[in-house]
Amino acid sequence: MRKRTLQRSLTGFWWLTLFFLYVPLLVVVVFSFNAANSAASFTGVSLRWYRRLLGNEQILSAFANSMILAIVSSIVALVIGCLIGYGMYRHRHRKLGWLIALIYLPIVLPDIVFGISEMAFFVQINRLTGVLGPGLLTMIISHVTFQIPFVALIVYSRFVGLDPTLFEAAKDLYATPWQRARFFMLPTIKPALISAFFLSFTLSIDDFVISFFTAGPESATLPIYIWGAIKKGVSPEINAIATLMIGAVAIAAVLSLMFNRQGRR
Amino acid sequence: MTSSLTAPDTPPTSETVDTDRSEARASRKASTIELKGLKKHFGADTIALDGVDLVIEPGEFFTLLGPSGCGKTTLLRILAGLETPDDGRLVLGGKDITDIPPHRRSVNTVFQSYALFPHLSVRENLAFGLRMRGVAEPERDSRVDEIAAFIQLGSLIDRRVDQLSGGQRQRIALARALVCEPEVLLLDEPLSALDAGLRSQLQVELLRVQQRLGMTFVFVTHDQQEAMVMSDRIAVLDGGIIQQVGPPREVYERPANAFVARFMGHDNLYPIKERNGDRLVTDLGALSCPAQAGGDLLLIRPETLDLIPGEQPGDNRLFATVNECLYRGSHAEYRLDVGTTTMQATVRNRGGSLPTVGDRVTVIVSSDDLVSLNA
Repeated sequence: MRKRTLQRSLTGFWWLTLFFLYVPLLVVVVFSFNAANSAASFTGVSLRWYRRLLGNEQILSAFANSMILAIVSSIVALVIGCLIGYGMYRHRHRKLGWLIALIYLPIVLPDIVFGISEMAFFVQINRLTGVLGPGLLTMIISHVTFQIPFVALIVYSRFVGLDPTLFEAAKDLYATPWQRARFFMLPTIKPALISAFFLSFTLSIDDFVISFFTAGPESATLPIYIWGAIKKGVSPEINAIATLMIGAVAIAAVLSLMFNRQGRR
Repeated sequence: MTSSLTAPDTPPTSETVDTDRSEARASRKASTIELKGLKKHFGADTIALDGVDLVIEPGEFFTLLGPSGCGKTTLLRILAGLETPDDGRLVLGGKDITDIPPHRRSVNTVFQSYALFPHLSVRENLAFGLRMRGVAEPERDSRVDEIAAFIQLGSLIDRRVDQLSGGQRQRIALARALVCEPEVLLLDEPLSALDAGLRSQLQVELLRVQQRLGMTFVFVTHDQQEAMVMSDRIAVLDGGIIQQVGPPREVYERPANAFVARFMGHDNLYPIKERNGDRLVTDLGALSCPAQAGGDLLLIRPETLDLIPGEQPGDNRLFATVNECLYRGSHAEYRLDVGTTTMQATVRNRGGSLPTVGDRVTVIVSSDDLVSLNA
């Protein structure tokens, strides 16, 4: 009898969790199609807010910034993170505890601390040398920094999952160091790399805090634009942007999961 | 380049097989391997190899036999180039290859875990070595087809690696190494992961492949039965040192020391307490054993003994009581109480009466089959 009560309350919690997770998203999605001006009532289905988005220069430029930032930072993080992941695998028998802790630090560090330190750092550099003024470049560098640990971790765990004899088999079958990278390692970890790319992409699109502290006047991303727009009141346009972002991030996350799973088969 | 393997369209009649074999022997460049004073240690106090000297002849099926940790796998890895010796030289076909990296050695390995590339199909796995050496695609394809026909892979060649069973993977791994036509093929316990039936089937297949190609095979195993079935010569290793090298019969029937004797499965070893000319005294009693050099242990192989009922005195006869009898069908294994000790005897079941537990018997020892050896 008690067991049944427990089970029922657990089921209740499950639905409650789902409710608080997805109903707010659903509200945003539904109201993005609202014909009315206010969020008070839903008067009819319309695409007017999406059309308005296309006419808004600021939003389009924020969207472009977001995409450039996400794609460029993900590619750079992929290259560096992949090398770090391989290095960690190659030297896994040595005691690398503190070094690995350093690499993983950005994962556990609060975004706000990370963002403020990046900003202070870039301000100092800019003051001393005149380069690296706030803008897309500083944002890309910051994003790469927090994306690297995720890429390195995914690549490392893929290598650890491989039979170590495969590396020896490649050597034994006449592959030179370059050929081993080109014909054995890269194709073998390809699913992990694709997965890591989409994860980095999602992290970059999602990020507000770090972008906010490192952005310049011309380099507002979508989250920064939304934050600024909301200070003037919630416009139904924001719902439309949010809906598009939910869609993009969901697709990237699903792709990331899919390729990660394929790599582990 | 014309390859020497059986052409896929040749019908396997005995005649063509014979010509193919002679062709194979003629065109393949099997080379002598010389190991000179090889030493290798891991960490501060793990000695894997402690000075190994060995010459492996061209076209030989050579087996490195020993318990785990004896150094046999380290020796194989040094041959492959995956491990560098601390000291000593490795010479292949007259050329010192000690410092040549694995990808530039004409040596290929069949790994214990098979190590097939999971991202490639079976065909791509087979072609990998040729592709890395820059063999053009048409020739690559024809050589892969040839080896696939030779190993009788059939439709396996179009499968994915994760669709293969253990035995199939083993054969693909073998074909992947053979297609490169190395001067030496190394096999690291390639059959140890397979069940007994498949194992003996693949033993026969390996032997057939080796004989038809005339290639030098260096085979690592811890199974003395497998070593005896397959090998031209066996090197028994222990503690990083070669204990004995010789053909299977020699290693089994005339072991060089107590370790080799025990590892080959012999239990009847008795310390020699006294020597009077030809007569050796052990706990069993006195036995005459002509033409024996020194040594302080006497080996009596159980299958060389004859048992007759009752006590019938004579030269080189021992009286014993049957303590235990294991009936095995084709033969029976006995444990006998003799003197102050026990001994094993194996008796063929010829259909007559067999002694049973508690019987008093006479053991006839053939002095030619006695071996005295060092502890």
